[in-house]
Amino acid sequence: MNMVNDKIIFTGPVGAGKTTAISSISDTPPVSTDVACSGEERAIKDTTTVAMDYSYIELDNGRRIHLYGTPGQQRFDFMWDVLTNNGLGLVLLINNNNPDPVGQMEFYLDAFADFIRKTGVVIGITQVGISDNATLADYQSKLMERQQIYPLFEIDGRSKQDVRIMIHALLAVLST
Amino acid sequence: MDVIQEIIDKSHKADMNDLERYSKVLKAKLEIMLAELLEECSDINGAMVSSTDGLAWARKLQEGMDENRFSAMSSALLALSDNLVRETHQGQIRKVLLESSGGNVLILHAGKILILTVFTCENVNIGMSLAHANKTAEDISELMEQCSS
Ligand SMILES: Nc1nc2c(ncn2[C@@H]2O[C@H](COP(=O)(O)OP(=O)(O)OP(=O)(O)O)[C@@H](O)[C@H]2O)c(=O)[nH]1
Ligand SMILES: [Mg+2]
Repeated sequence: MNMVNDKIIFTGPVGAGKTTAISSISDTPPVSTDVACSGEERAIKDTTTVAMDYSYIELDNGRRIHLYGTPGQQRFDFMWDVLTNNGLGLVLLINNNNPDPVGQMEFYLDAFADFIRKTGVVIGITQVGISDNATLADYQSKLMERQQIYPLFEIDGRSKQDVRIMIHALLAVLST
Repeated sequence: MDVIQEIIDKSHKADMNDLERYSKVLKAKLEIMLAELLEECSDINGAMVSSTDGLAWARKLQEGMDENRFSAMSSALLALSDNLVRETHQGQIRKVLLESSGGNVLILHAGKILILTVFTCENVNIGMSLAHANKTAEDISELMEQCSS
């Protein structure tokens, strides 16, 4: 078993729920590098991730999966390569309540295209039903248009069960 | 800058003009402090001030260096180092020191929301740079405290 490779990366825009998702699934307190927002994001959130989130989970078969979350702000994009290096696959979280969430999904699929090609991705849409920015069908038809058939879930980042299902879906995709 | 807005809100009622003037004055003041730092210590060849969430505030850097990228990187490094120190029960972090073949990088907390990053020349005695950087970080911290009180 290659311990180094058992690592999943959570990414997505500011406020998608990456830090929340990693903390809801992990049994131990995660490593968090959230600091107070000082710029424009202050209007939306109190804290934001500046380096990474880290935790791990143990699957029923005893396999340990390391979870890393990226910062969502564009200025930390140098962390993307650092964190995806040797990773198993990607969990992409999109906040449906952001303006143009479908465009954000496309942005991240493009930005991580090389990594996704080598590994795999599942997409989780958070905060569905709060605004009518997009429906699940909108994401699906965009994926169809791009000829990218990836598992897509509506999730609540605060729900351990929801996050768990996504991780298992990703592992299933990767083993095929 | 929203933090400055908050500082102003706390002290007195302000309009947008006040905010802009205030933010300009504060940044100009920080740039002067950086210029003095470089002047007083010839081992130091660049310095910048940024927020803990990685936004550039003031710079005194060599031509072609992008303070926006470095600000993000400094905050990431400092945040991770903070964690390591805290989780290994080694108290409160003072600074991060990167020793490299072409010079050193020092990353210091400067008050609650600001970070001072200092770049030194090659082959210098780090002690001198450290002492000056510490002093400037303290001065910035004091300045910010005055602003918010
Ligand atoms: N309603 C709702 N709120 C959520 C959901 N997931 C997360 N949140 C909340 O949304 C906010 C976003 O939190 P974070 O987890 O910090 O987001 P992030 O993706 O890590 O953001 P950055 O680190 O700034 O990029 C938090 O206040 C969460 O409680 C969700 O599925 N539904
Ligand atoms: Mg986060």
